[in-house]
Amino acid sequence: MSPDSPIPSPVPLDAPPQPHESKAWHGQLQLDFTHRHPKTHLSHSFAQSPFKVQRPFYPEGDGVCHVVMLHTAGGIVGGDRLSSQIQVQPDAQALLTTAAAAKVYRSNGQTATQSVQVQVQPGGCLEWLPQETIVFNGAQIQQRLRVDLADQALWMGWEMVRLGRTARGEQFSTGCWRSHTEVWRGDRLLWLDPQQLQGGSAMMTSAHGLAGCPVVASFAVVGREISPELVQAARSLWRLTGAEPSCSSQGDRPVFQPASQPASQPASQPGSQTAFQIGESAPDLTTEPARTLTPATVGVTRLMSGMLCRYRGHSTAEARRWLVAVWGLMRQNLVGRSPCPPRVW
Amino acid sequence: MPIPADSSASSSASLAYLLQLASPALPVGGYTYSEGLETLVQQGLLTTVAELEDWLTQELQTGAVRLEAVAIARLHAAVTADQPGAIAQWNQWLSALRDTEEVRLQSWQMGRSLVRLMQELEPDLTPVFQRCGDRTNFATAFAIAAAHWQIPVQSAMLGYLHSWLTTAINAGVKLIPLGQTAGQRLLMQLYPTLHETVETAQALPDEALYACNWGWAIASMNHETLYTRLFRS
Repeated sequence: MSPDSPIPSPVPLDAPPQPHESKAWHGQLQLDFTHRHPKTHLSHSFAQSPFKVQRPFYPEGDGVCHVVMLHTAGGIVGGDRLSSQIQVQPDAQALLTTAAAAKVYRSNGQTATQSVQVQVQPGGCLEWLPQETIVFNGAQIQQRLRVDLADQALWMGWEMVRLGRTARGEQFSTGCWRSHTEVWRGDRLLWLDPQQLQGGSAMMTSAHGLAGCPVVASFAVVGREISPELVQAARSLWRLTGAEPSCSSQGDRPVFQPASQPASQPASQPGSQTAFQIGESAPDLTTEPARTLTPATVGVTRLMSGMLCRYRGHSTAEARRWLVAVWGLMRQNLVGRSPCPPRVW
Repeated sequence: MPIPADSSASSSASLAYLLQLASPALPVGGYTYSEGLETLVQQGLLTTVAELEDWLTQELQTGAVRLEAVAIARLHAAVTADQPGAIAQWNQWLSALRDTEEVRLQSWQMGRSLVRLMQELEPDLTPVFQRCGDRTNFATAFAIAAAHWQIPVQSAMLGYLHSWLTTAINAGVKLIPLGQTAGQRLLMQLYPTLHETVETAQALPDEALYACNWGWAIASMNHETLYTRLFRS
């Protein structure tokens, strides 16, 4: 399902299905990837409901093992405790994604927790590329992601979050989303990112925080020194992917797509940036009165042994287009491999 | 170190040290940084004193500077209790937390300047600074100096935030531009928020250390792409 299209309504609307009200899910997922030349194998896999794992596949040859993770319960409810452990053994190369957008339903009062622990051994690489998370109004979720890298290990990961089902006019007026990420190399903390969004608070509308934008996304690469040229290239990709009119098949509303801005138009042409901002930043017109919206903005910076991209805007499809392009750039430059987007995207 | 034994004399001695540490005349170059304000002003996104007030209020309530104030409290306790491991750990925490390369380099540059200065002024502190590891953040050096001069922890946090706020307002006064009086009035208007941040930051447990500063981080990330720059961040 496209991230920006209306989400099928759970019944009744404001009380999403809570099939396990008395018994919250305690899901567990363990995946080990081992490299035996020339192939990376999924050497151990354990999934406890609601987690499920599809059979690994190799769309780009034996070198990289792709695995699609599934959450079979439809969404996360208050009190759920999900935990995952991912081991990437020496020289193994793995790419993980999810089959669909994750949903976090309005809380029954309890907080849902999701914890992910990743270890990447020397020469290993993990690409952690889940699809976006839709955080319903009133949801309470706390995520923790810890990555431990050995020397010469690499991690690339992103997170795309939509706050509220904005396609139906829902705003994130109550609830709390917390996401704590830390990446270590040995006993050295390389990157720490403790993010919190409190529904209905000033941070949602202040220019310092979200400026009324319901979509935020981050993409980080840690484990390599990144050159200023690559940072610059990642910024340029925003102009390129942003200038492209959106794919209406991806769920972006075609209403504002300016007919005079064909997809092939180079980003450097005057006006293209504006055209994209108008087209992409439009909220659902049926529910939002016409008003000035903060255009989507992005930033790229270097981390200690890495790089970080941030997006703040209105469209997960737009964020994804840019971040997929940056991911492709990093892949090509850091591991010498062409991008190979999983079919489920 | 010449701290008098008498308690009121001792408290006025520590006040003098705090004024020295929080003074804009402290030679660490704080005035050369805008922390993203220059980006916003150049892009026409921050043009009034009210917008600056909202920006600084949010940074104090939910931004990185609030977490720095927490680190000051933790480091102050670590220095006082002589826990070198904790000093190194919180310094590393500060380095990893920096949202952008520019603010990380800013913190390290100001930290290095303060360490050099303190090593001249208080040679006894050299081994303490050596425990920080390779890069000392400004908040780390500030907390070490404050603990050494027996500045109470709340005063140290207040002094750190006040110094940060003064610097940010001065950057706004130059960039927007605003009148000097408007800048001083804004500073006073932010005092309740400043005190509130000190109170809440001190009480925060480790598991509650979160920030929300997407606009701030993106403005700082884009600062290095500006064609002309007066400030270094």
